[in-house]
Amino acid sequence: MMARTQNVRLSAALLLGVAVAACNPTPPTPGLALGKELFETCAPCHGDMGTGDVEIDAPAIAGLPQWYIEAQLRGFQAGMRGMHANDLPALRMRPMAMTLNRDGDIPSVAEYVAGLPATFPESTLHGNAGAGAERYAAVCVACHGPDGRGNELLWAPPIVQLNDWYLVQELQNFREGARGADPADIWGQQMRINTFALDDQAMADVIAYVQTLR
Amino acid sequence: MIERYLAQMSTYAGSIDGLILLVAVLVGFWFFAAEGMLFWLVWKFRERPGQKSQYLTGTEHHIKRWITWPHALVLVCDVFIVIGSIRVWNEVKQTLPEPDSTIRIIGQQWAWTFQHPGPDNELDTPDDIFTVDALHIEVEKVYHFKLESRDVLHSFSVPVFRIKQDALPGRSITGWFEATMTGEHDIQCAEICGIGHGVMAARIFIEDAGQHAAWVAANSNSTTP
Ligand code: HEC
Ligand code: HEC
Ligand SMILES: [Cu+2]
Repeated sequence: MMARTQNVRLSAALLLGVAVAACNPTPPTPGLALGKELFETCAPCHGDMGTGDVEIDAPAIAGLPQWYIEAQLRGFQAGMRGMHANDLPALRMRPMAMTLNRDGDIPSVAEYVAGLPATFPESTLHGNAGAGAERYAAVCVACHGPDGRGNELLWAPPIVQLNDWYLVQELQNFREGARGADPADIWGQQMRINTFALDDQAMADVIAYVQTLR
Repeated sequence: MIERYLAQMSTYAGSIDGLILLVAVLVGFWFFAAEGMLFWLVWKFRERPGQKSQYLTGTEHHIKRWITWPHALVLVCDVFIVIGSIRVWNEVKQTLPEPDSTIRIIGQQWAWTFQHPGPDNELDTPDDIFTVDALHIEVEKVYHFKLESRDVLHSFSVPVFRIKQDALPGRSITGWFEATMTGEHDIQCAEICGIGHGVMAARIFIEDAGQHAAWVAANSNSTTP
């Protein structure tokens, strides 16, 4: 009899504990540990080490700067990317960004991704790097830098370490207005202007040149 | 009764709720009758001092009656349910009223995109209006929709319309609806379609003629596919 009452008491206490814990979740502390945990959502598409997956158009985000990742995740949430009917990859990414809905989620996961080693995936397109070099020196260098590593002051991301198919796809997105067309997207608009003069071949060429900067 | 919890906003929402209610009441009645009977019998024939709990094999005629009669009555209820179902199926799926407008609804991981016919009211013309996660329609007009999927199975569900139709890659499925009231409501995906299924939600904007015309005019040139 004694043992039984004790058991009942113990289970009641346990239940109460669980109930209290469920009603009162301790807010997670932002930082690398939370970032690592959150990244489990991202890994099925971007890969365990953020190396990307061409099958689902997910780029190699490993080692992108934290400020840029944060800005893009907020951009996805605000509908600056992923709200265009034919931009299927971004339509997939936008809901993923929407899941980062607590204070500190975005900085934490961005910090974690920024800390992963950049992968510099192999080239897959066959642009003419020579033709692209001129274009790059005339236009892109001002913001993305002579080494393609970007410029935080101009909000321009590094582009050397990303997949070439992804970069061309984004240039097309800018040109078609799937990205950088939202009046609230100040930095995207600045980038967009540079794509109006580029046809698909010119895009492949300039990206082929970007790949030689590694 | 159901409309107290979820508004009925399409011409056939009431019929569907009626059918759900019919099934719930008939099945519910027999559920409670059968459970009540079961517990009453368990209690009545329980073990008592001087009497063991009894087991009835149910072969005697006067006992079997308790099975056959309710069975017959349940079958009669089934007939009512079948008739009700066929009538609603006929109203919603078998008839296709003449459309005032046709739209295309496309599901993809994980968003709904909508192709509105634009100012000329013709689908697949250059003035079509494309939107993501926002469907704009006019109240009291019959809409045909062509439902498609770009990748996996999805299901187009508008709870206030009581509509839920699967979208299959490779097929264009035609259906219809007519809204009875203006308002802004939820659209959801009702078929597991991958990691983002839970956030594959959109909104439907049911507008009066003036509002809708204004929306069409404001958006006719701003979007491209
Ligand atoms: C379902 C697959 C999927 C998941 C899960 C996913 N992503 Fe993405 N992500 C994509 C795709 C596809 C793109 C490319 C979008 C485009 O083309 O505009 C992308 C793009 C991005 C970009 C933009 C990169 C750039 O160079 O601009 C960032 C940043 C990003 N994802 C971060 C994340 C984070 C953080 C998570 C986890 C919370 C995550 N993603 C989860 C598919 C996914
Ligand atoms: C005025 C400065 C500026 C110039 C010039 C410029 N860019 Fe950009 N670029 C940006 C900014 C800012 C972004 C980030 C946009 C955003 O926040 O969405 C960007 C983004 C990009 C991206 C998307 C990267 C990603 O990870 O998604 C690519 C690709 C790109 N630029 C290529 C180019 C190329 C090629 C040129 C030359 C033709 C060029 N840019 C010229 C400022 C510039
Ligand atoms: Cu879906």
